[in-house]
Amino acid sequence: MNLAVDLSIAAGLVVLAWRSLAGRDLFRGIVMYIVFGLLLAVTWARLGSPDLAMAEAAIGAGVTGALLMVAYWRLRRISPAEPADPSPRRSHLAAAVALLSTGVVAAIGLAAVGAIGPGGIAGRALVEALPATGLGNPITGVLVVFRNLDTVLEVAVLLAAYLAVRAVLGDRGETLAQPPPQVARLVGALVGVVAPLSVLVAVYLLRVGSYLPGGAFQAGAVLAACGVLLLLTGRLRATADAGPWVRGSLVVGTVVFGLFGVAMLAFGEPLLAIPGTWAVYLIETAMMVSIAVTLMLLFAGAAGLGGGRR
Amino acid sequence: MTAVELLATGMLVVGAAFYLAGTIGLLRFPDALSRLHALTKADNVGLLLVCAGLGLLSGNLREAALLLLIWLLALLAATISAHLIARRALADGVEVEMRERVPR
Amino acid sequence: MTSATVWVLAAASIFGIGLYALIVARHLLRQLVAVNVMGSAVFVLLVVAAGPIAGSLDGIPLALVLTGIVVAVSATGFALALIVRLAEATGSISLEHDGEPDDR
Repeated sequence: MNLAVDLSIAAGLVVLAWRSLAGRDLFRGIVMYIVFGLLLAVTWARLGSPDLAMAEAAIGAGVTGALLMVAYWRLRRISPAEPADPSPRRSHLAAAVALLSTGVVAAIGLAAVGAIGPGGIAGRALVEALPATGLGNPITGVLVVFRNLDTVLEVAVLLAAYLAVRAVLGDRGETLAQPPPQVARLVGALVGVVAPLSVLVAVYLLRVGSYLPGGAFQAGAVLAACGVLLLLTGRLRATADAGPWVRGSLVVGTVVFGLFGVAMLAFGEPLLAIPGTWAVYLIETAMMVSIAVTLMLLFAGAAGLGGGRR
Repeated sequence: MTAVELLATGMLVVGAAFYLAGTIGLLRFPDALSRLHALTKADNVGLLLVCAGLGLLSGNLREAALLLLIWLLALLAATISAHLIARRALADGVEVEMRERVPR
Repeated sequence: MTSATVWVLAAASIFGIGLYALIVARHLLRQLVAVNVMGSAVFVLLVVAAGPIAGSLDGIPLALVLTGIVVAVSATGFALALIVRLAEATGSISLEHDGEPDDR
């Protein structure tokens, strides 16, 4: 019975992956990719990880889907003559390479799954070391305490992506993803309900992430989704110049995390040591703000944000 | 199986049947508006039944209340999405077949 | 066949599909979606291959995959900016080699 459920979801994933990449209509492919992301979130839930399910639904399907849609419409605006995918190259070599890679990946996976012997040594050490940190969520423990160097660099990667987009696109405030001239009144009502609810859910996810599934990334993604809605309805506007608030929130995650880690050296602790759960909350709050603003600006393709119409 | 479990399982099954009906409507109806009609109505009722069944199974008032909240939020999202899609479909010039088709 | 085997085979197939699409597709946006699909397949493989520890999942690959999802969206954002800029500058949305016969 369990196997039947796994088979259905897995088959659905394969079919959706195929549908998102085959066919001539690019728009349909992007929509199928969003559905693929949502089914992937169901997969994470099925595999037993609510953290990943939330992150995939919000970031993988939600933000990525929004980014792809906006890029598609911008490309349509720029060169309307090529709306669909031109006919793909016919290549037998590609099919052979793809089949070979499928075989290699399957072999690696099956070997790892079927491996006999003491595995998960690091994972077991994690389970033992977790209670000492005062956290209940092992993923938050790994991200903020045990392997926090990776997380510092990850927030820096987000910042680098924003800077890279700015370098490529230049200082443009007029974003092509402009709100429609007449927003449906229902959407205004939706914003009125969803925006405060998003803030509430994000803060809840942040607070609860230390002992239940949740955390800074999921919270940041929820805020980013709310921000995308505000941008689309005109409540927020993309601007050509990033004001001090925007600049501050872009860097606060990297700076707070990095400075905190370095400051620990001054106290004689090892680099990036975390003294208590208060430090975890501080760092996670800074990261949430950075993640939210960076994702919103990646969507807008602009330098900064400003207030729009009421 | 206790009576509550039986009832909850029945609700889950009927909810799934509603989802099936909605999907068949999505696949078989001719234009965007009728597809929306089938999809939103059937899926929302299906979700209500699924949430109610799960709430009964949980036996926990807090979880049941959270499931109700989930249904309300999903309802909100589905309504607005359907509205926007319908607006776009009308703007694109979808023909709305209002006359009842009488089989000859 | 255990459920782990099912997921591994599915992940491998999705990886292969993504790689094939990456090679044969002409439109840059489609190639970007292909890369994302390949990445998602690898994430599934990572989590499934790690295996459970005393009932629950191993926390380390979960954290790795979470990091991976965020890095993937950053890279996607940057790649989209590059694609849009390329389209603005040259008017084309694919990277065709110069001098190669266009076999449309």
